Amino acid sequence: MKTQKIGPKPRTFQQLIFTLQQFWSGCGCVILQPYDKEVGAGTFHTATFLRAIGPEPWSGAYVQPSRRPADGRYGQNPFRLQHYYQFQVIIKPSPPDLIELYLDSLRALGFDTRLNDVRLVEDNWESPTLGAWGLGWEIWLNGMEITQFTYFQQVGGLECRPVSGEITYGLERLAMYLQGVESVFDVVWTDGPRGRITYGDVFHQNEVEQSKYDFEYADTAVLARHFEEHESACNALLAAALPLPAYEQVLGASHCFNLLEARGAISVTERAGYILRVRTLARAVAQAYYASREQLGFPLLKPTDTSSGALEASR
Amino acid sequence: MTAPSPAPRRAERRDFLIELGTEELPPKALRTLELAFAEELRARTHQAALRFGEVESFATPRRLAVLLRRLASHQPDQRIVRRGPSLRASFDAAGVPTRAGLAFAQSVGVTLETLGTERDDKGNEYLRFEGLKQGAAAVSLLPALVQQSLEALPIPRRMRWGESEALFVRPVHWLLMLYGSELVPASILGLHAGTSSFGHRFMAPGPLRIASPGTYERLLQRRGKVLAGFEMRRNTIRAQVEAFAAQLEGRALIAEALLEEVTALVEWPVAIAGQFEARFLRLPREVLIAVLQHHQRYFALEDNAGNLLPRFITISNVESPNPELIRAGNERVVRPRLADAEFFWQQDRRQPLAARLTDLAAVTFQAQLGSQAQRTARIEALAAAIAASIGADVAASRRAALLCKCDLLTAMVGEFPELQGVMGRYYALADGEAGAVAEAIREHYLPRGAGDALPASALGDALALADKLDTLAGIFAIGHKPSGTRDPFGLRRAAIGVVRIVLEHRLELDLVALLEHAAALQPVANANPRAADSAMEIYDFLLERLRAQYLERAADNGVTTELFDAVLATRPRSLLDFDARLSALARFIARPEGLSLAAANKRIANILRKSADSVNQNVDPQRLREEPERALHGALEALRARVLAATAERQYAGALELLATLKPAVDHFFDRVMVNDPDHSLRDNRVALLLQLRTLFGGIADLSRLPG
Repeated sequence: MKTQKIGPKPRTFQQLIFTLQQFWSGCGCVILQPYDKEVGAGTFHTATFLRAIGPEPWSGAYVQPSRRPADGRYGQNPFRLQHYYQFQVIIKPSPPDLIELYLDSLRALGFDTRLNDVRLVEDNWESPTLGAWGLGWEIWLNGMEITQFTYFQQVGGLECRPVSGEITYGLERLAMYLQGVESVFDVVWTDGPRGRITYGDVFHQNEVEQSKYDFEYADTAVLARHFEEHESACNALLAAALPLPAYEQVLGASHCFNLLEARGAISVTERAGYILRVRTLARAVAQAYYASREQLGFPLLKPTDTSSGALEASR
Repeated sequence: MTAPSPAPRRAERRDFLIELGTEELPPKALRTLELAFAEELRARTHQAALRFGEVESFATPRRLAVLLRRLASHQPDQRIVRRGPSLRASFDAAGVPTRAGLAFAQSVGVTLETLGTERDDKGNEYLRFEGLKQGAAAVSLLPALVQQSLEALPIPRRMRWGESEALFVRPVHWLLMLYGSELVPASILGLHAGTSSFGHRFMAPGPLRIASPGTYERLLQRRGKVLAGFEMRRNTIRAQVEAFAAQLEGRALIAEALLEEVTALVEWPVAIAGQFEARFLRLPREVLIAVLQHHQRYFALEDNAGNLLPRFITISNVESPNPELIRAGNERVVRPRLADAEFFWQQDRRQPLAARLTDLAAVTFQAQLGSQAQRTARIEALAAAIAASIGADVAASRRAALLCKCDLLTAMVGEFPELQGVMGRYYALADGEAGAVAEAIREHYLPRGAGDALPASALGDALALADKLDTLAGIFAIGHKPSGTRDPFGLRRAAIGVVRIVLEHRLELDLVALLEHAAALQPVANANPRAADSAMEIYDFLLERLRAQYLERAADNGVTTELFDAVLATRPRSLLDFDARLSALARFIARPEGLSLAAANKRIANILRKSADSVNQNVDPQRLREEPERALHGALEALRARVLAATAERQYAGALELLATLKPAVDHFFDRVMVNDPDHSLRDNRVALLLQLRTLFGGIADLSRLPG
């Protein structure tokens, strides 16, 4: 039985991120930066959505700022934000010990799994806009959901072979728990030689203003037009066999749809139509991306060079 | 393989254990998986002619296991006798074995000299083989039996993981297969069988060598920190929760479904009590239950007066040296959830339910069937018609119908969909709606499933029926009636709801007319050129649920499917009428005259079938030549008016009582009279007499459908 290494509790929001990056880096993941477009979740990052497609192995981890316009509360609700962070890990093929690796990451964050009640509670995931679904769990820490754990079965309408394992940490929740604060705005972001900065200092004004935009000022006619433009641009780029730029148009369309929904500008019937349109684009991009990788000969399938693997495995 | 050894071997008996280690299985499916695995393996092992004793099964979030006690080491040997070719064909004139003779010997695995001979009745002599077919060893059969059993499990969605081609509920990690103390070599779902299990994920994660199947459960408990038995774990949890409740001077609300789910979520249950601020007790009880039970899987507590206490009990999966950590964590989680609910409760009441009506137009019920506002209008029309028929307040039924879907737009129901109807009632009361209207809003979803309560008020009945009839009419109209096990719109449940409400509350309703009304209200153009046809189809669907309801309780009510069909043939439009006919008939048929008259009806039906074209209803008394036919006619005439009157008043038992007195006359008629007289006028007159008799019975049920 291997010894369980319990790390020191990260005291700040940024230490939490550093610890997770360090941990997953030690597991061999490519540590990426956020995707520079508005997305609803870490799954939309190309490092997850597109890399989950096809036979090539892939391991990545990154923070992804995520936007859910409908969750805006003008900075008045202590738990709900229209802009928040996810920490995302994606490993393909999912290794047999992925759950154990994840639990080790909790230990690295200072949670002793012999003292705390950690449970895997069935929660299956489905994204109608991405044409994706998977089976897995939400992970409970003493009754609180802190992570989504999913084995992708289908992405962009394509069967996943091999299967990717996806781990999504809710960073704000974890930080609130670690720091024992009741409001996300009280989370200490950093506390160093230049003083203490909280999550509220960094983001409160943004929550207030963006909520106003999301619910009051977003121009629905313009957004509806943007949606159409993204859709036709996506199709044009697909015709030019450029799946990566085409995918950015999917992200654009998806974000317009989320804003329109937050503004209450979409009826239930229209809603299904919008979702179908985004899904149609996502599926077409998925297929085009697969074709493009196939054309390149699935370059990441090359046998791994075992001699250089130890460089980062210092955890 | 066969051998001529005459003595069958005695199979040894040892315990067999299979344990499949998995990642955390879906809690609501766990019990089903456990029992299905045990049953599949039991049935397959039995079919493979391997004897065994008791079957035990185990299930935790991370394992499914089955223990077959005293499993035979081999299938029984089988004595085999085979006749070969004739001696003449087996040896040539010189006594040299032929190709046919040698081939037979080879096919049974012996040399030709060792074969015996036998004679048939004609005296021809043949080669004969007698031997034993050795039963296969259990260890050689078990891998396939286990594999087939796993493949047969009822798993809605199987998944893949990693690069494996295996498919299962969740990824699998170890396979333990022990026969006695020996490994059963097998390779299943990409795993090689071993002799070790694994303990609790956190408290005893290492391998545990299992010496023999009989020690499995105890070893897991002692060294593995795993209570493998589902039943045992459930009892442990119940006892812990009750002990805690007693300590807190309260009573725990232990819903069986919650207990089962929690049992499926832990391997080593440890109860921990927590609390929340007393101010949250001002929330409706159902809201607190929804948060505590459904969302957090906690057990709620109440005091002796039945009021909820600001406490809960959670079942953790770890024996923590610091349970305080777990308690504090859980309290941190439940507080914001309750605070959210409190916010919704305050927010939702700022706007009256009725003000949400206009917004219902934007909520789609079903693409082809329009919005919830349109549906509300249909329910209103139906509810008013039903209320008028059953003596409920029509104006109140309209009001309740108008408001019954409005709570779908409240924030609380948005967050807790299971509270639909319940919140509608609270908000209606807060708006100052009449109490009966508020109750009906809650009750219109009842019954939600088998064994659920029915509406307690007539207004609730009217609304619940209207809601279900509209669903049935609408979904039938767009062609989505249930097929096989597929019933995405819950039409079977809706139909059973209608049947139960009408029968258990004795509601006199012309369901055919109501279904025609409901079908005519549907906004589907041209799908049903004739509402009446569609109504009949739905009515047939309802009656099939009715049949199932009766047959389920056949032991009590004596109803058989033939009795049901006999009444079904008369197609009563009211279920109460149906019920009255059926119960009268069930009692009637239990009497000797009943059976005999059923037989007579069958006979008449056959006669009428052959002479269907020439049938005339009128009997000419002048042409009744024979005494038995005159007697039958006389008896019939004497009874007719009273039978018809009793039938019209649904006094079916009385009507059948009267008809039973015809038995001697009917028997006499069939004994003495030849219906098929060469004189066609006499024959037709007799047929007409029989038709009259049958018509009289037919007013109650078609007795010719009974076995007689």
